[in-house]
Amino acid sequence: MATNTESVDLVGDEAATNLARAALFAALVGAFAYVSFPNPLSAGVPITLQVLGVFLAGIMLGPVWGSLSMVLYLAAGAVGAPVFSGGTAGISYLIASPTLGFLWSYPFAAGVIGLVAHRGTSLSEVDAVPTPVLVGAMVAGTAIIYGFGTVGFAVIQYDPWYASLWQAFLVSSLAFVPVEAVKIAAAVGIVKNDAIAAA
Amino acid sequence: MIGYVPGSTVAHRLDPRAKIAVQVAFAAAAFAYTTPRGLAVLSVLALAVARLASLSLAGVVRSFRVILPFLVAAPLVATIELSPPAIDPGAAVYPALSSYRVLLVVVVSAAYVRTTTVRESRAAIQRTVPGRPGVFLGVGVSLVFRFLPVLRREITAVREASAARLGTERPLVDRIERVAVAGATRTLGRADRLSTALSARCFAWNPTLPRLTLTRIDAPALALAGALLAAALFRAV
Repeated sequence: MATNTESVDLVGDEAATNLARAALFAALVGAFAYVSFPNPLSAGVPITLQVLGVFLAGIMLGPVWGSLSMVLYLAAGAVGAPVFSGGTAGISYLIASPTLGFLWSYPFAAGVIGLVAHRGTSLSEVDAVPTPVLVGAMVAGTAIIYGFGTVGFAVIQYDPWYASLWQAFLVSSLAFVPVEAVKIAAAVGIVKNDAIAAA
Repeated sequence: MIGYVPGSTVAHRLDPRAKIAVQVAFAAAAFAYTTPRGLAVLSVLALAVARLASLSLAGVVRSFRVILPFLVAAPLVATIELSPPAIDPGAAVYPALSSYRVLLVVVVSAAYVRTTTVRESRAAIQRTVPGRPGVFLGVGVSLVFRFLPVLRREITAVREASAARLGTERPLVDRIERVAVAGATRTLGRADRLSTALSARCFAWNPTLPRLTLTRIDAPALALAGALLAAALFRAV
């Protein structure tokens, strides 16, 4: 073991709470990757709750800790926590997989959702946020996720990438965008839920 | 599922930082040489890495099934031309090579996952990223590893309890809400208990990390990473 001789530099209570919340939300997004529901629109594409986790991280932790939480999610997946969709892990999913754009979008999406929902970087009471603002925040988040996802897919799979954006959108996103409406509706219900308001 | 498996292979004994360097350099080389010949050479290298880590290729291929539909569809869709409507099989060649390239990089990174403990990864992160951001990442990553199985188990229990009470008959939005509310409230509760426990145990910005030292066996790995990066750069300029 290496020995440190300088004095202990304690983490403050507030930072410890935020760090614990960010890490546990990252784990929750990972756990949500395993939860799948049958899709009423197309049977072959199950609905998983990862993106819902990103929405909730932005709304409940705010823009700063919400996006830091997603950074932890990516870092944990890169070094081997089975948190990416289907229980996969490894740095390859962040640097070489065609789905890398979706993963890299999560910190940005959570940040933007938090910024819109809380109207700034300081946290406000989430159950007081008007529903249209919540929905708008999540629509913006969805646009970021699928925008990054489509561009990432095109960059990895096609040459030149900008000439094949529609093919990339067709393969990577088209089947998944409609069910995001279901997740947005669920997220609004969750945020307004009494159990969450009390937590 | 690919995860850490204890062992004494060469790959287990390497420094985690050297292994990360090899993965990144391998990916860079794979992007620089997405040609049949380049990928053939890299395939041999990926097989050698898998062998050194005694990695089961069947397991990697199983974990790969999640992104497989995308990798198959991408070249197929590329052949479609809209104006005038036509099928151009030649357009599928590059996307098909790209898809195969992904498989090779996944094999190499699975070797890292199989041979590196959370503790070593955390130390590698904290020794690479300096200061408080490094501590945040290191601590956060180890907490994710610790709590992922706990939260998965809780969510599974919630879903089973709901199914036993005919919760599967409810509308989809309602079902998603139930699972997510239970998941999020338990997560927030656990986070609060965890932060109290961390503060009570002198949670510090400067904890003592396991020692990481580059040894003689890391030299070939670092040399390989250097060679792959140099090859990638040579192609780029």
